[in-house]
Amino acid sequence: MRATFRTVLAGLIISSASAFAQEPTQLRFVSLAWQEQAIASVKVIVAAWNEANPDIQVEYQQVDWGSINDYLITSFETQAVPDVFHYESTQIKDFGARGYLTDLAPLISGDLANDVVEGAWATVEGENGELWGVPFLWESRIVLYNRDLLEEEGIEPPTVDDPWTWEEYRDASLQLTKDTDGDGKIDQWGSAVGLSSPVNFVLNLSIGFGGQYFYEEDGRWVVRVGDAEKAFLHLMTDMLYENPSIAQDGVGLSGPELFPGFFEGRYAMLPGIGVWARQQIVESGPQDFNWGVLPPLKAETQNQGSSTQTLSIPAASPNQEAAAQFVEFFLNSQNMATLAQGDWLFPTRTTSFERPEFQTQEAGWNVATESAKYLTMANWQRVPNFEEFSSRVAQPIFQELFANRITVDEAAERLEREGTRVLGR
Amino acid sequence: MVGERKVVPRLFMTVLLYAFVFFLAFPFLWLIFTSLKSSSEIMMRGGSLLPQQVTFENYLTAVREERIVGSALNTLKVSVASALLTLLIATPAAYVLARRPKGINQPVIGWILVSQAFPLILIIIPLFLILNRLSLGNTHLGLVLVYVVWSLPFVIWMLRGYVQNIPVEIELAAAIDGANHLRIITQILIPLILPGLVATGLYAFINAWNEFFFALVLLKSPELQTIQINLARFRGIEGLARWGPLAAGSVIATIPTLILFGFIQRGLVSGLLSGGVKQ
Repeated sequence: MRATFRTVLAGLIISSASAFAQEPTQLRFVSLAWQEQAIASVKVIVAAWNEANPDIQVEYQQVDWGSINDYLITSFETQAVPDVFHYESTQIKDFGARGYLTDLAPLISGDLANDVVEGAWATVEGENGELWGVPFLWESRIVLYNRDLLEEEGIEPPTVDDPWTWEEYRDASLQLTKDTDGDGKIDQWGSAVGLSSPVNFVLNLSIGFGGQYFYEEDGRWVVRVGDAEKAFLHLMTDMLYENPSIAQDGVGLSGPELFPGFFEGRYAMLPGIGVWARQQIVESGPQDFNWGVLPPLKAETQNQGSSTQTLSIPAASPNQEAAAQFVEFFLNSQNMATLAQGDWLFPTRTTSFERPEFQTQEAGWNVATESAKYLTMANWQRVPNFEEFSSRVAQPIFQELFANRITVDEAAERLEREGTRVLGR
Repeated sequence: MVGERKVVPRLFMTVLLYAFVFFLAFPFLWLIFTSLKSSSEIMMRGGSLLPQQVTFENYLTAVREERIVGSALNTLKVSVASALLTLLIATPAAYVLARRPKGINQPVIGWILVSQAFPLILIIIPLFLILNRLSLGNTHLGLVLVYVVWSLPFVIWMLRGYVQNIPVEIELAAAIDGANHLRIITQILIPLILPGLVATGLYAFINAWNEFFFALVLLKSPELQTIQINLARFRGIEGLARWGPLAAGSVIATIPTLILFGFIQRGLVSGLLSGGVKQ
C-alpha cells in the first residue's frame, strides 16, 4: 500500500515538474497593422516564430491606430503591458522619457543595429542615447499624378535625375487647372491637398525650404516662423487663393478623401500624400486608371521630415529578453521587407530596402523609393510638448490660414507667441 | 365632404411620416448597400446608392478576418448579463428610493445624479487595478460588473420615476391582504412597471453593446474581445478605413439589437410613455 502511494506520489511530482518545465514563455504582441496584406504578413511571421520557438509563444493582438494611445497609457499605468508593441517614433520618445519603456540598445544585435539606417535610429533615440524602439517602417510624402491629364496637356513629367522645383510644379498645376465644359466654373484642378489635419504636412515639407519651426535658444525650445518657414505657407496660400490651382475642396478633407475626385479626373495631381496611399489606387481605383508617382519636389533641397513606425518593449514586461529575441526575428531582413510591402511603406534596413521589390516600376515603387533618400528626422520629434503644440496651436492656426481667414504673417505671429508658450510649460 | 376634408391632411401626414421614417432609416440603408459594394465602387465619386454589382466578399472578410461572429456572441453574452444584473439591482433600489425618499436616501438620490457626471478616463485606471486585484481583469465577468456600475445610476433614476407613478394604495391593499415586501415587489410592482423595466433594460443592453473603451482596456485576450473592438480594427490612419468590411461588420453588429427591438417594441413604447408622465 505504502509502495503504491510512493509510486503514485513520485509519478505526480515527475509529471508536474515536467509540465512546469514545458510551460512556454507567453509574449503578447500588439500590432497596428490594419490593411489586409499587412495583417496577413504579421500573422505569417508570428506563426513562423511560434512554430520555430515552442518555448516562447507569441499571442498576436491587433489594436487600431485611433485607440492605441489610450490603450498604452492605461497599460503602462496599470502595469498590464504587452511584451512588444507597435507604434510610432514621436510618441515612444515621450513614453521613454516617462520611464515606460526598456532601453533596447543592450538587447539588440549588431546585425540589426548596423543594418537599420542611421536617420531612422535618430527618430527613436532618447536624451542619453537610449533606444526606445526599433524603427522598421517609414514613409515619405509623394506626388501622385494622372498620366492621361498630363499627356493631354502636353506636360512631360519630371524624372528622378531632373526633378521639378516647387515653382515648376506650380506652373504645371496652373496649366492643368481649367474649365473643361465652358460653363465658367473650373472643373479640372491641377492639384488637391487634404488639409483637414495639415500640421505634419506643413512641418515635414517645410524642411525642403529650410523651415525648421523649432529652435533652441538659451537652452529652451522656441517657435520661430521666419522667411524659410513662411516660404511654403506663401506657396500654399498662393496656389489656393491668389493664383488658384489647388482645389479648395481639400481644405476640410483628408488626403484619402480626395481619391474619388482623383480617379474621376477632377484633380490632376495630389502633392504631399503619404507613400502608402498608392495601395488605395491599386486596390480601389478603376482598373484603367493611368497614374504615376513624381519624384520629390525641390525647394532648396528635396529633403522632408519623417517619423518612423517602431517596435518597443515596455519596462514593465517580465519577459524582456524573450521579447527582444522576437523583435530580432520579426524584423529580420526578409520579414521587414515583407512588412513594408504589406503596408506600402519603406523598410529601414538597408538590406531590406535594396531588395528588387522596392526597385520595380510597378505601382511607382522605383520613384517612391527615390523619395526615401531625402527623409530626415524632423527636429519636432525632439521638442517637448509637441503633441499639445500640434493639436492646440498649430492645427487651428493652419486650418484658419488655409481657409483664408488669416494671413501668413498673422499665422506666423500667433504660432511664435502661442507655440513658444506651450513648449515652455 | 367632411370625409374628403380629412383625406388630404391624412395623406399629408402619411407622406410626412414615410419621409421621416426614410430619413431615420437612410444611414442604415446606406450601410447595408455599402456592405454589398466592392471597394472600387465604394471609392467612386458620386456613385449610386444601390450597388452596381452585389458582392458578399465584405461579409466573408469581416467574418473570416476579425472573428465578427465570435465577438458578436461575446458582446451578446456581456450585454444580456449586464442588462439583467442591472435590473436585478436597480429594481429594489429604485423601489426603496421611491417609497422612502427621506433621511439617508435623500443624499443617496443626489449621489446617483452626481455619479453620472464622472468622466470615464478618470476612473479607468483605479477600476482596472481593483478588477485585477479581484482576479477579474481580462474576464467577461469583470466587464459585466463595470457595465452594471456604469448603467446603474441612470437605470435607478428612471425606475424610481416609474415606481413613483404606481399608487402606493395598491401596495397597502396587498399588505392588508397579508403580502410581505418581497411578494409586493415581485407580484404587484414588477408587473405594473414592466414597461419601465423593458425600457431601462434595453438602455443597459445598448450601453453595453455599444461600449468601446472599457472593453478595449480590460480585455486583452483576442478570444474574449467584443464586436466594437474588432470593428475598430478596420479603421486605419488619416481617415482611411476598409469601408466594405467595416460596413459589413457593422450590419452584423446591428442585427441582434434590431431583433431585440422587434421583440420588445410594444413594451418599450408604453414604457417610455409611462415613465414620462407623472400622475
